Amino acid sequence: MELTQDQLIKLYTLMVRTRKCDELIVNALKSGKAIGFFHSGQGSEAVPIGACTFNLRDDDYLYPHHRGHGIGYMLARGLSPKPFVASHMGRVAQDVEGPTARERGIHGGSGTIGASFVLSAGMGITAKKNGKNQITACFFGDGSANRGTLHEAMNLASVWKLPIVWVCENNLYAQYMPLKDSMAREDIADLASGYNMPGVIVDGQDVLAVHEAVKAAVDRARAGEGPSLVECKTYRYRGHSEGGPDISHYEPRPAKELEEWKKRDPIKLFRENLLQQGVLTDADVERIDKEIEAEAETLEKYADECPIPKPEDPSVLDRLLYAE
Amino acid sequence: MKQTIYLMAIREALDEELQRDDKVFILGEDVQQGTFGTTTGLVDKFGPERIMDTPLAETAVAGAAIGAAQAGFRPVADMMFGDFMYIAGDEIMLKAAKWRFLHGGKVNVPVVIMAAVGGGMKLGAEHSMIPEAMIMHTPGLKLAVPSTPYDAKGLLKTAIRDDNPVVFFYHKGLLGLPGEIPEDEYLIPFGQADVKREGSDVTVVATSAMVQQSLAVAEQIKDKVSVEIVDPRTLEPFDLDTIIESVKKTGRVVIVDEDTKRCGITAEIGMQIMENGFDYLDAPIQRVAAANMPIAAGFMEEHVLPQPKNIAGAIEAVMA
Amino acid sequence: MKLKNDDLIFMYKTMVRTRKLDEITIKGLQEGKVLAFYHSSQGSEALAVGAASFLRPDDYLWAHHRGHGIGYILAKGGSGRDFLAEHYGKATGSCLGVSGFHFADPENGALGAAGTIGSVFPMSLGWGLAAKKHGRQQVTIACFGDGGSNRGTLHEAFNLSSVWKLPIVWICDNNGMAQYTPITDAYAKDDIADLATGYDIPAVVVDGMDIIAVHEAVQAAVEKARAGEGPSMIEAKTKRFREHSIGSPDVVHNQPRTDEEIAEMKKLDPIITFKAKLLEQGVLTKADVEKINNDAEAEMAEMDQFCVDSQIPDPSILNTLVYAE
Repeated sequence: MELTQDQLIKLYTLMVRTRKCDELIVNALKSGKAIGFFHSGQGSEAVPIGACTFNLRDDDYLYPHHRGHGIGYMLARGLSPKPFVASHMGRVAQDVEGPTARERGIHGGSGTIGASFVLSAGMGITAKKNGKNQITACFFGDGSANRGTLHEAMNLASVWKLPIVWVCENNLYAQYMPLKDSMAREDIADLASGYNMPGVIVDGQDVLAVHEAVKAAVDRARAGEGPSLVECKTYRYRGHSEGGPDISHYEPRPAKELEEWKKRDPIKLFRENLLQQGVLTDADVERIDKEIEAEAETLEKYADECPIPKPEDPSVLDRLLYAE
Repeated sequence: MKQTIYLMAIREALDEELQRDDKVFILGEDVQQGTFGTTTGLVDKFGPERIMDTPLAETAVAGAAIGAAQAGFRPVADMMFGDFMYIAGDEIMLKAAKWRFLHGGKVNVPVVIMAAVGGGMKLGAEHSMIPEAMIMHTPGLKLAVPSTPYDAKGLLKTAIRDDNPVVFFYHKGLLGLPGEIPEDEYLIPFGQADVKREGSDVTVVATSAMVQQSLAVAEQIKDKVSVEIVDPRTLEPFDLDTIIESVKKTGRVVIVDEDTKRCGITAEIGMQIMENGFDYLDAPIQRVAAANMPIAAGFMEEHVLPQPKNIAGAIEAVMA
Repeated sequence: MKLKNDDLIFMYKTMVRTRKLDEITIKGLQEGKVLAFYHSSQGSEALAVGAASFLRPDDYLWAHHRGHGIGYILAKGGSGRDFLAEHYGKATGSCLGVSGFHFADPENGALGAAGTIGSVFPMSLGWGLAAKKHGRQQVTIACFGDGGSNRGTLHEAFNLSSVWKLPIVWICDNNGMAQYTPITDAYAKDDIADLATGYDIPAVVVDGMDIIAVHEAVQAAVEKARAGEGPSMIEAKTKRFREHSIGSPDVVHNQPRTDEEIAEMKKLDPIITFKAKLLEQGVLTKADVEKINNDAEAEMAEMDQFCVDSQIPDPSILNTLVYAE
């Protein structure tokens, strides 16, 4: 299916919103408003948006990649960014409109990298057993591609012909570890042949290319033909974790590398494409930027007003431990 | 003596042992940079062959270290977060711990598994544990839990020279803790508790960051209660004698630990005191430990992990 | 290395001894002499002996768990008596009688055997790392089954052995069955060797019932590893003549394997086919064959007696084994 002009604009808008939400948390950490970790996803917006926006059904399962703490995936799935922003400020989100993450097949993210594979295999089994042509999309990085859980889950998904789409967001670095020193081959997609499944490589900066490649894999999974692997070549603009060093092993990452990749910024590339095609005008671009800027300001104010979990009511913790 | 901080003391121990013995090497995810600073800069001196960055693959990191230990080296594997040791459960709990015994004592496993542990950084359930009980529970492993720069350096050097697998937990909340260490080389033998503060009313047994927290509480209430603080420093081997000696003097015990209370080390230590020092006790033993739940992130962390007020409360209760 | 007649005879003898030791261990289990369990290696002797013969004593060896490694152990120069005594739970066993069915012989490069399938990968990675760091051109032979190949540890260790160019020869004993699960239901392709491509590890598939084919493939990989050219993988297609564990049901999922099926497999018996070849080539005479058989039987009878006569370990040793002093 060809994407309509409205759909193209939606992809663009979602990428800009993803970038803006990411920047919001980066800045909030600097000013001390946000707490804990943040692993920025700037530079890779085309992967979640291209893969998820128009390829997934509401009832499909999704395991987001940890970069950006999943914000691109949430927005692509039509979720409100409120809980994302509020939780990074250590606050309890209020008045959240729209579907919950659970209602869009997102069941959590792991603190241990690589848990995604085996948990997604479980969601793939569920999707198959439900018999409603649901699929599971599992997103992971080049770092987690080193975990043994990949092997166990990809093998089983293939043997059992599970409707899973494995999408690798290969941004060339796992924390400080460059891919060239952590994987025997350049292309993670090369692993796919060992499991008898298609493995394709796609330009992860090109939102339409990501959309197309994932679409083919999703169609295959929905048709009961089993799993596929899509490797998106992309880049991480910022350090592994905000406040941490931005290095390769123990030396600064090459500035030239970042410069080169920024020339192929996924938002910029797509904007130029849409302007050229006449889908967007300069005025549209400006309007979208302004709207999203305004949304970000509202979100920040909103988060400030959300309550901190009440220290006098830690009983909430007891209720979380076991289901009744 | 010279001034240093906890993480520098750890780095110094690694530096000296790498220098002393060419069979020592470090491997782990991003150890050339050092996620917590404990290994930072060592690559400049010893090169990437001995300070090995590995991919994100915990079973391979632990297995490679343990296998190389069997085959003649003294590797130090850095697991980054203590929580991640669970991923390499087969390698650490079944191979490192059991293989000397299982194979009739023919092959030693002189490996050090080190990891950053503990809360205070609000990092939540999978980045905040101090899984002491899991290690202390496993025969075949030794466990060092330093609470000061001095202990960290001396214990880590001993760990590297030990012919057994040693788990070395460095606490994330102590990394910047200042303290004095000797100019000259020194080792701290395992199985020797250290009385961190002398007192006469109550014995507080604490490990790792809880030692520092207990010291602060003891100082605050010193006009009311004279607190003695005993730091076992290693949980296996475990120095019960020093604790019993203290209990003979005070007759009252509070055990403070950051790991989960249920089946935690407070239960084990409390029972050992019961079995070996019941007659010296004037009151039931009090325990302070993490609530029986995963460690919550953000502002909720303090409701799971032990806080100074809990320690003060337990001391008050045992004195009542 | 070109095999001389003596080498061929050594390999044949070692296969016969492996089979006899397997048989006596099974008998011991049935008579209550063997205390734990036993996973027979009958059908895969050509792989074990072909792979582990003519290695250097200081090469590291992770034997496959079938037969609890006996074929590999005997081929590398280890002691069958220590093996059997361990199974009898005696103080003379390879692990002083405390392991039940494990084997360790550090002088022969056997640093231990695991109770968890798939731990071969990270541990052998460590041995390979040590071999490289020692700088003495040692290699590590690391064996696993088709069952073990399903473990995630394979991925981590294959990848790192390739990135670090470690001198490891990964050998898969693919007998088609992991306990009761057929490989066809546990892996999506015919050849497990196909996994190696993803790690840039050269891999070959060999007939595991042909000892010469196995030996040549392993030696080629060993030479590459010694020369610093990194790891290789060899997948040997073998047969499992017996049930997974002696006394357990012999089933595929829950359906019994048929007698016809087993009889068909046994036509490929690596000992019988190699014997026929050596007789035909005149390397062995019928009299030689008979003598080898008789010698092996005598050796086993002697071992059995020795193990029966050996003492049960003194429980006071247990405390000395947990930690090194």
